[in-house]
Amino acid sequence: MDTKLKLEQVFREVFDDEEIEITDDMTADDIDAWDSLTHVQLVVAVEEAFNCKFSTVEVMKLKNVGEFIKLIDRKTGNA
Amino acid sequence: MENLRQESISRLLRAANRLQKDPAQYSTAPAKAPKVRIAVLGSHSIQHFVKVFNLFLDRAGIKAEIYEGEYGGINMDVLDENSPLYQFKPEFVLIFMRYNDIQLRSEKDLETEKAYLKSIWSHLDKIPGVTILNTNFAVPMERPFGTLEADYGYSTLTLFRELNLSMTKDHPKNVRIIDMEYLSALYGKENWFDEGNYYLTKQGFGLDYLGPVADEVTKMILPSVGVVRKCLVLDLDNTLWGGVVGDDGPMGIEVDPHNPLGEAYRAFQSYVLSLKQRGVILAVNSKNDLDVAKEPFEKNPDMVLKLSDIACFVANWQDKASNMAYIAKKLNIGMDSLVFFDDNPAEREIIRKFCPEVCVIDVPNEAENYVRALNEASPFEWAQITKEDMARSDSYVENAKREEMEASFVDYTEYLKALEMKGVTGLVGEDEVERFSQLTNKSNQFNLRTQRYADSQIREMLEDDKKRCIYVSLTDKFTQYGIISCIILSAPNEDNGCEADECFVENWCMSCRVLKRSVELYAFRAVIEEARKMGAKRLVGEYIRSKKNSMVENLLPSFGFTVVEKTEDRVRYTYDLAKDPEGEVWIQS
Repeated sequence: MDTKLKLEQVFREVFDDEEIEITDDMTADDIDAWDSLTHVQLVVAVEEAFNCKFSTVEVMKLKNVGEFIKLIDRKTGNA
Repeated sequence: MENLRQESISRLLRAANRLQKDPAQYSTAPAKAPKVRIAVLGSHSIQHFVKVFNLFLDRAGIKAEIYEGEYGGINMDVLDENSPLYQFKPEFVLIFMRYNDIQLRSEKDLETEKAYLKSIWSHLDKIPGVTILNTNFAVPMERPFGTLEADYGYSTLTLFRELNLSMTKDHPKNVRIIDMEYLSALYGKENWFDEGNYYLTKQGFGLDYLGPVADEVTKMILPSVGVVRKCLVLDLDNTLWGGVVGDDGPMGIEVDPHNPLGEAYRAFQSYVLSLKQRGVILAVNSKNDLDVAKEPFEKNPDMVLKLSDIACFVANWQDKASNMAYIAKKLNIGMDSLVFFDDNPAEREIIRKFCPEVCVIDVPNEAENYVRALNEASPFEWAQITKEDMARSDSYVENAKREEMEASFVDYTEYLKALEMKGVTGLVGEDEVERFSQLTNKSNQFNLRTQRYADSQIREMLEDDKKRCIYVSLTDKFTQYGIISCIILSAPNEDNGCEADECFVENWCMSCRVLKRSVELYAFRAVIEEARKMGAKRLVGEYIRSKKNSMVENLLPSFGFTVVEKTEDRVRYTYDLAKDPEGEVWIQS
């Protein structure tokens, strides 16, 4: 499955909202429930879904969803 | 989500979020569920834990009201008795600590930390009826001393271990210790400590372990508000032993310590016995004739559990559900105090259906996994185990014996004496032949000639009046070893090249479990006696070198044998049977 689609599914599960559609320039400001707490959950859920593990620096540097997708692709050898 | 503990963390968090957002829809705790007020404090982030914990409590049938302390706010909440914590009036206060909260570099640091804990606990004691659940410390992985950590009392790891121990030994009655050190070791410290997540989010331990920790703490709270299980109800055939006693007989069932499967059943019995020793009541619920069911307990010496360990023994051909009711009535406890362990899934299903209050353990197919299954299910979670609970069993007597023994370790001879070894020697008969064959064919190290025999050959030798198959069995005050040495003597024949008044030691082996216990010498006395009975004047022995048997190279000379003939890989010896053997034996017949 396309990384973006799969990631969208993870977002919908974590934020428990089937309506969410992710875009590359989306940030935490765009989703109400996206706070530091759910961010941890999001990272764990992505790691689980894509079977990879992110480093501290990688998680810190994430600026938006587009970068998240790139990071996932790089980690899973999809880039 | 049948088994919460096995759920992935993202699924757990999702379910926890839903429960938090919409308890009316997602709670499964009964409407009348007991309500508990719990405060959670931590030196690190506890937000995720609280969510998951709330889920576990709900699934355990507890409605919890949770006070969540500020991150790193233990002192703020505890030391100020006007803080919201005290206003909340919690019944339980959970305190999460982590090794990097404190510096342990010296004994002085240790004393400071102990004093700090005591002051926290005594402050909280002002809350009426409070129970404090305080984590001990998952001992860190870092070893500044390298491999020397365990050599010194002042290394950081040792000081943490000591702090943990002192928390266990010296805490007020209303404090319980959440054993994070055990959990971190159980799941593996390499995963337990997730440094990345700690630096990012101040999560005190890997997110994957939120479930197990929540489960542990829920189990600690449950007995105060819910049911307490008191009695383990056991099936017999293929549960306590392998096979069917009605078909195989009391001696034919599988509890033989020399057989891997028998060992597995014995290990399960030992675990059950350790439950009994902490005060769990044992009962039997078996489809059998009563007399037949009791026979192994009375007649088979390999049984770990004895009839006197069973408080209520029910064996009949009625359905097990009716028997459960009878057991509860007879012991004067509720059905909800019973835990049922039966290898038969059909029986378990019946109990689940007709006795829903009974806790039914999911028993795995393999006997070797019984202990794990019961241990993981951990059904006997009590608020405390009293001295009276322990005294209910006979364990005090055994402990006293061991302590007495440790004290008497003046020297090795004293130790051997203290073991109170008892031996039996004799000629192999039908009861011994199987083990005799097994040991003879598998011993490599303590084996003079490493001769191997088919079962049929051994059985032939038992009938042969020119052969003697001698066995030695041993018991000490702790262990029943069974047969641990096998010797075959033969009258003169072409193969052994002995003369008319000689007797040949054709094979001699011993289990290495009983080395240096004077068993060899004890066996040698039996050999001499038997050889004399055969009418021999001299004993002839041989050492045949193998890749593994160098430990017995000097066995025969040590008994006073003299060399007759010597080649590279074979030494032949003789011993004058007019001589009595020398050396001390610490085994009583």
